[in-house]
Amino acid sequence: MEALTGLFPWITNGPLITVQVMSGLSVGMFLFLVSVGMSLIFGVTRIINLAHGSFYMVGAYLMVTLVELLPEHTGSFWMALLLAPVGVALLGGAIELGLLRLIYHRDPLMQLILTFGLILVIGTLVLLAWGPDNKSVSRPDALAGSVRIFGQPFPSYYLLVLGLAPVVAITMWFIFYRTRWGMLIRAATVDREMLGALGVNVAALYTQVFVFGSWLAGLAGALAAPTVAVALGMDADVLTTAFVVVVIGGLGSFAGTFISALLVGLLQSFGILIFPAVSIVLLFALMAVVLIVRPWGLLGTPEP
Amino acid sequence: MQMRRWHPAWSSVLSGVLVLVTAAGPAAAQGKPIRIGEINSYSGLATVYTFPYREGLLMATKEINDAGGVLGRPLEFIFRDDKLKPDEAVKAARELVGQEKVDFLAGCISSGVGLAISAYAKETKTLYFATHCQTSRLTWDDGHRYVAHTTNNVNQYIRALAKKAATMPYTKWAHISPDYEYGHNVWEEFITYLKQLKPGVQVVQQNWPKLGETDHSSYVTALLQSGAEAVLSVVWGAQEIAFVKQARPFGLFDKVHLFSASVGNPDELDPLAKEAPVNAISPGFAWYDEGMHTRHPKLAEWVKKYEARTKKEPTLGASWGYASAYIIAEAITRAKSTDTDRVIAVLAEGYEMEFPWGKVIMRGCDMQAIPPQWVGVVKMNAKGRPVLASIEETHGKDLVKSCDEVAKLRAAAAEKKK
Repeated sequence: MEALTGLFPWITNGPLITVQVMSGLSVGMFLFLVSVGMSLIFGVTRIINLAHGSFYMVGAYLMVTLVELLPEHTGSFWMALLLAPVGVALLGGAIELGLLRLIYHRDPLMQLILTFGLILVIGTLVLLAWGPDNKSVSRPDALAGSVRIFGQPFPSYYLLVLGLAPVVAITMWFIFYRTRWGMLIRAATVDREMLGALGVNVAALYTQVFVFGSWLAGLAGALAAPTVAVALGMDADVLTTAFVVVVIGGLGSFAGTFISALLVGLLQSFGILIFPAVSIVLLFALMAVVLIVRPWGLLGTPEP
Repeated sequence: MQMRRWHPAWSSVLSGVLVLVTAAGPAAAQGKPIRIGEINSYSGLATVYTFPYREGLLMATKEINDAGGVLGRPLEFIFRDDKLKPDEAVKAARELVGQEKVDFLAGCISSGVGLAISAYAKETKTLYFATHCQTSRLTWDDGHRYVAHTTNNVNQYIRALAKKAATMPYTKWAHISPDYEYGHNVWEEFITYLKQLKPGVQVVQQNWPKLGETDHSSYVTALLQSGAEAVLSVVWGAQEIAFVKQARPFGLFDKVHLFSASVGNPDELDPLAKEAPVNAISPGFAWYDEGMHTRHPKLAEWVKKYEARTKKEPTLGASWGYASAYIIAEAITRAKSTDTDRVIAVLAEGYEMEFPWGKVIMRGCDMQAIPPQWVGVVKMNAKGRPVLASIEETHGKDLVKSCDEVAKLRAAAAEKKK
């Protein structure tokens, strides 16, 4: 025990560990919101949407504009938080109908190239629309400060994330396992051809799923906007992490993404305490281990 | 009404007036332009720096050409986007030299890009003016006769910050730096110089987030329990804005004094607005500061001209673009030729130039620019806008590594390559 406290002086510091767990969990919840849409879209349409990070970025930029445009009022932040993801969902719908629909039957490589091209196009359009300067959104006054948890300060805005992400997760679970639409989505992840043969309009289902996935990316972007700089390049940053989360959890697995996001969040926060110099490696080490032991991810299913 | 006959005398009067009008203005540059291939990142996340930089460069170019050009020829920059990638930059360099037949190369914001263009320049014996990236390796460890650096390098501004840090009572230091070339370079230069000036300084904790990391809350809690009295932040741009926004609610800056390599510039302070880290200490180009205007009376006019031209406020990058064009033009003027070897001979001799913000020395031994350095404290101004105040100015010549030290660095680097 003494050797342990010598190495890690924080180990007996209960409040610190609590705060570290909570900040790890909030990071995880953010990651969940970003990645789950990507995982969902892959599960149903088998498209690895590399433009998912761009949708996240557009969500954050829309948040900036909406907070500026809406009249100064305590509710304007919340209105913007509601509207920005809807804007991204519309964008996603347009892209699915106008572009992706044309290439579902093509080589997966073509799909990758198309979504990669979208990264560049959306990135340039964002530069043209919003200009090169870094932007920022202030937190709503009620969540601008911090709360004390066992005497340690903890940003109150993260409480919003800690509360909202589980609500989204539970709602999604309910939709997937308790509604007819959810049943169709689950069926599509298992066997799309059979679903089509049974008379289900698979094309419409694809569009709906893509719109929903884009909405989730937009929500994550809008929610993240007050904690980061809204800037060009935030698309690429989030894409890498989201991709790792989805791969660890198992491509297309909803529960897997949730567990993997929390795991990655906690790993990041404790990794920094334990191995501050190499914490950057831990994320990829975890992914490597998972890929070696279970190449299809924690809760994914191996391709037949 | 009777038509008036056109008298032939009117023609000569008219042409005389025309001649006078054209002669009244300064002799605008004529002849074949001197062409410089400019490679920089003109798409994506670096545009927040490169767009103002380009404005500064073009503003100076226009002034130079309106005043008669260089050797009577107009100066022309041909821009290429490197997409922040060294291989794209080299591709652009090859095209500029091979097809566009440019006389010289210039540009770079990313240090990696700068080093790649420099290697290409050395190989093809093309003179390259690194204008915007800041790694000291360019002209020092990896220096050679075909690369000149027309702006600041890391060594100078980080020593200015360390010098300020040494005057303050802190001995327990921590840092948060992006885990790549620039992050390591800045932290090493800072702590080495600080320990030299103030023995007894100790490093109690280190944080190396990856470049572009968006979540820093775990680093913040780690910093909070590290016992550090001061922290150096080397993260920059969007990443530093995120770090500051995330650290504030944890109360980090109430317990640990923030020193930053870049937070004092408007591209970070303006988006941070009321969340800006008041009392943080940072280098920066405070063109709006009264003390700056007292020391540099010509600054106000330059700011006005820049604002009239771009409808935007100037930035540090804009001043660098502006200075770079003049420094390059001066080298060609002194060489009385665009011949590469003759221009290099001028650069190797060294020269000094006056700018609206003070003297810039082009040092001969390493062809490295040595400008003035400023360090200030972040404060809210009367309008509630965060600015850099209480500016302390030191000239880079009193901070920068000497020619002897540079020679040693080059020798050590050459030894390593063997």
